[in-house]
Amino acid sequence: MVFGPIPNREYHEGFMRKAIEMAEMALASDETPVGCVFVHNGEVIGRGINGTNASLNGTRHAEFVALAEIMAKHPSSILKETDLYVTVEPCIMCASALRQYRIHAVYFGCLNDRFGGCGGVMTVHSDQGVDPTYPVYGGLFREEAIMLLRKFYVQENNKAPDPKPKKNRELKTEILPVSTPNMLTPAAMPTVEVAKLNLGKPAKSG
Amino acid sequence: MEQVRSFTAKVFAHFPFPPLLRHVFHFQLHLLAAFNRARHAIMGLPIDSKAASLSGEARKRQMLHLKTKEECRLGNETIQVWTVELPSKHAEGILKVIKDNVEHQDAIDLQHLRRFAKPKYLPQHVLGRRDLVKEMYLVPQAWEASAPTVMQMPDATWEWSTASKMRTNNRPPTLYLMVCPSETISLRDLHDLMLQHPPFCSSPDSWAYPLEIKEITVPRLAPTSPDQAKNWSDMYWPTFYRKTNPFGAHPTTIEKAETDLQTPLEDNISVEQALELADYAGSLTEKEGFGICTGCAIVERVDDKTEIIAVAGDARRKPLPSEIGVDALNDNDDANDTSITDSQDGTNVPISANERTKARREKRKKKKAAEKAANEAETSGCTSGNVMSHAVMRAIGMVGRKRLRVASQPISAESNFAAAGLEHNEEARDAFFLDLPVNPLEQQYFEKDNLKPDGYLCLKLEIFLTHEPCMMCSMALVHSRVGRVIFKHRMPKTGGLTAETVSNDTGPVGLGYGLCWRKELNWQFTCWEYNAAGKRAAGDGTADDNKHLNLLPSCDNANVGKLSFNSIHV
Repeated sequence: MVFGPIPNREYHEGFMRKAIEMAEMALASDETPVGCVFVHNGEVIGRGINGTNASLNGTRHAEFVALAEIMAKHPSSILKETDLYVTVEPCIMCASALRQYRIHAVYFGCLNDRFGGCGGVMTVHSDQGVDPTYPVYGGLFREEAIMLLRKFYVQENNKAPDPKPKKNRELKTEILPVSTPNMLTPAAMPTVEVAKLNLGKPAKSG
Repeated sequence: MEQVRSFTAKVFAHFPFPPLLRHVFHFQLHLLAAFNRARHAIMGLPIDSKAASLSGEARKRQMLHLKTKEECRLGNETIQVWTVELPSKHAEGILKVIKDNVEHQDAIDLQHLRRFAKPKYLPQHVLGRRDLVKEMYLVPQAWEASAPTVMQMPDATWEWSTASKMRTNNRPPTLYLMVCPSETISLRDLHDLMLQHPPFCSSPDSWAYPLEIKEITVPRLAPTSPDQAKNWSDMYWPTFYRKTNPFGAHPTTIEKAETDLQTPLEDNISVEQALELADYAGSLTEKEGFGICTGCAIVERVDDKTEIIAVAGDARRKPLPSEIGVDALNDNDDANDTSITDSQDGTNVPISANERTKARREKRKKKKAAEKAANEAETSGCTSGNVMSHAVMRAIGMVGRKRLRVASQPISAESNFAAAGLEHNEEARDAFFLDLPVNPLEQQYFEKDNLKPDGYLCLKLEIFLTHEPCMMCSMALVHSRVGRVIFKHRMPKTGGLTAETVSNDTGPVGLGYGLCWRKELNWQFTCWEYNAAGKRAAGDGTADDNKHLNLLPSCDNANVGKLSFNSIHV
């Protein structure tokens, strides 16, 4: 249950706050504002922001950038006892990579209704497959995560094949209640939703 | 036939058969002729032309376009609809009645079906049995509509002139109307509605046409090929094929790609050559102990000219900085060194004697490594090694690096990352992503500045793969906006591109993700499975080609077929 209650929520919010800070850095440096931290035994062992625009590589997502930092010092087996905190639900690609690396658990802010792999579009984390599944917990600082994305997408993407003029775009601040076809949402939970951006093609997001 | 006929003629010439016997003989001949006609009719083609077209067909089968998720899911879906037979001159009127009175009659898109169908085009179960009352209804109509002079023609029978009149009018006496899906309106309501309007109510001009509403089954969705349309027309109801495919790539797009790749222009790379290159890349990195035997080649096509942009083999076992010194990887080190210094700078360099002994040594090593890999795969699934160094990820990374290099305005890579105040170790990052060449073959293609400058990601590039990529790599292809993907071997347990979840004639059942064409994702690309056996069967590979193929080490026989390999993410 992606949006179920998260035990010890404050503890996890502490790390999600760090992920949000990373996303803010990404926004400041012209990248899709997705940030993440990997936490092993209460210690941050990897941090990442989206790097697609700088690398001209559409697969250089925040999770991968952070993994590169981790693997510089640790064997990949460390991920079995490592949790990921990421502002936006991992995409299908990252969800599969994390599963292949056997991540321990994933905490995220908002869903990704364009290409989310942990409930937004597909459920790669829990589908039948050769690797063990991993649990995901959504909804930590969801509003902040959505607002960061909106701030980014009102900008124009000059790298897109035909950039769309977005002069008349307004930054919406209203956040809609959750609509999650792929999972159950307990009524008592604060609502979590997909980032309903409906804007042009993005450079990339997490 | 000719032979038989001449033979019998000769027989008759020599032996004066009694008339009766001759007759029997002739009768048998007729039977034979009829049988042959029927046989030709069944096969649809004269025998000669069928044989001629066989090689073309087999050739085409080399590239099997993958079915999309929707094509797999919806291909056989049907829906129940009401139909009614009515005199054709009332067709417009009744259609208007339905449009005006039946709410949501067009809520379900059935544009692929004819609204009105002539009886002669309908399958028998829709027509039902002959109805004399209906036929009677048409009599006075014909009488009134026919000019008296025609009727008085001495040699014209009454029925005949009616039929002729109808033919010249080009209007069949009755038509069948597909009213609407039967869930839209109940039979009783529809019945009542129809009875209020001509021709189903009696009028001063004519008596009521007998109302008979039937429920029939029709295909719910548009056909995706002309053959399918024909089958459905025979089985259900006249169906259009509009040469479009709402559930996948447009047929002309697929055709164009298949032509580009299977009959390439001069100097352009063919699908076979590109796959061979991917194969070679995979076998090299495996030989070097870097990874499993899977490879990727990326091609750009600009103004009908192809350029090989990147070639990469799998390198998941290349040690990461954190793992260097780990004993499991040590025995591969010398193999790495030799292969890098070897002057293997082409795909078709003949192998020297010196190298042959080395190759033998490496073959033993390879066997050992393969066994090790198999064991590992069985015990630890596919986590062994660096997931980021799958061939697809490496090749996409190389394209990004090339883009940075050929950009008309310099882009300072990762400067944003540094600007954001994050320290990072470039060496460690490169070792993790491995988006730099690891051997002379990869280097040879990487160092060419042959990519069109200032392009976007891997937009419309063509990807050639030895194996169906895993979910991570499949989605990486979506993110990179690739154009065409062709792979050789399906990976039913780990592959992300095939869509079948139910066994059928197209191949083994996979996970059913069908990532190449998912409407809910923001990018779709065309994808083929390449079947080299199709080529061999067609027999149009020249001897040279085959010799060339045999010379190269290939991924084909290395791992595929091993049970444990099936569980590996490629």
